[in-house]
Amino acid sequence: MQNNNTPSPYWKWLPAAFALAGIILFVFATYGPPASSSGFVSTLKGAIQTVAPDYVDAKAHYRMLPDTGSWLFAFVLGMAIGGFIAGRTFSIPVRDIPEIWEKRFGSSKVKRFAAAFAGGFIILFASRLAGGCTLGLFISGSTQLAVSGLYFGVLIFGFAMLTAHFVYSGIGKGGK
Amino acid sequence: MSAEIWLGLLSGIAFGFVIQRIGATNADKMARAHLMMEGDIPRFMLTAVLLSSVGLLGLQAVGVGRTLIIPTSLVATSVAGILFGLGWGLCGYCPGTTWAAAGEGRMDAVFALVGGLAGAALFAQLHEFLIPLLHAPTNVGQITLSGWFGSKPLAVAVFVVVFGICIWAIGILWGRGEDV
Repeated sequence: MQNNNTPSPYWKWLPAAFALAGIILFVFATYGPPASSSGFVSTLKGAIQTVAPDYVDAKAHYRMLPDTGSWLFAFVLGMAIGGFIAGRTFSIPVRDIPEIWEKRFGSSKVKRFAAAFAGGFIILFASRLAGGCTLGLFISGSTQLAVSGLYFGVLIFGFAMLTAHFVYSGIGKGGK
Repeated sequence: MSAEIWLGLLSGIAFGFVIQRIGATNADKMARAHLMMEGDIPRFMLTAVLLSSVGLLGLQAVGVGRTLIIPTSLVATSVAGILFGLGWGLCGYCPGTTWAAAGEGRMDAVFALVGGLAGAALFAQLHEFLIPLLHAPTNVGQITLSGWFGSKPLAVAVFVVVFGICIWAIGILWGRGEDV
């Protein structure tokens, strides 16, 4: 990937944390608690109401959140744009299959994409049940000292570590 | 377009850029964080929260901003946290990073994003059934550490110490990522 002489193009964690905290506080000041799983619901609401407005009106989950003409949708759209800009100005090219996944499961795109779809499905279903995700519940909630956010954070880190341990069995710490 | 839309777009662009630069949109780095091989992403996340909690105390002292506490439901928050951990560990993306990683051009993130839309749509369909079943009966309300400690500054101080210890411990227990 890179040799030892070139410094990593990734930012160091401490200055990056200051940058993210600045953005989080800007969002609290200008909007409210930042969230991203709600943006999925806003995306769906905006799309579905163009073909089935009665369905959207009848469902509580769509009634409780705004459609695509909202901060919530603008934020997730902005994240895609921010990711695009960051990717275009970065020295490491992106891969469709993460290295560690390829080492464990091979280079089948079908297998990786199916796992990504399943993982995405589960995390959004779970986020909507809890009322938020890594950002909207853990980060926003913990910043406000909400017990829900802190408890959710402990569970998601703990079970993600456990899951990764089994998914990538044999590649853990100590191995390479 | 209203100011709210522009603010959301601007905030999202900045957020997406920063999480790409720390490697949170890279599912390989996220898996290595979960496997305790690299501590950068968890230290970054916890430090950002620690700093934000102190900053929010300042914002509230001058009466700026809006807060919203999400209620804790013993059953729903637990079930959701466990499920979320399974999905996160499996694919290496969380809801926010799928957008930034898809924008970055990662094809697997596009599938995670589409899967996420399907998962959210299924939950929205089942909301009227699942919320009364799993969320409402054990909803203990909008509880916070401030309520437990009886003082917001004291709660923030305790929180900062606990998170500080966690960040320090991750630096010891996880493999060495980048230096500070």
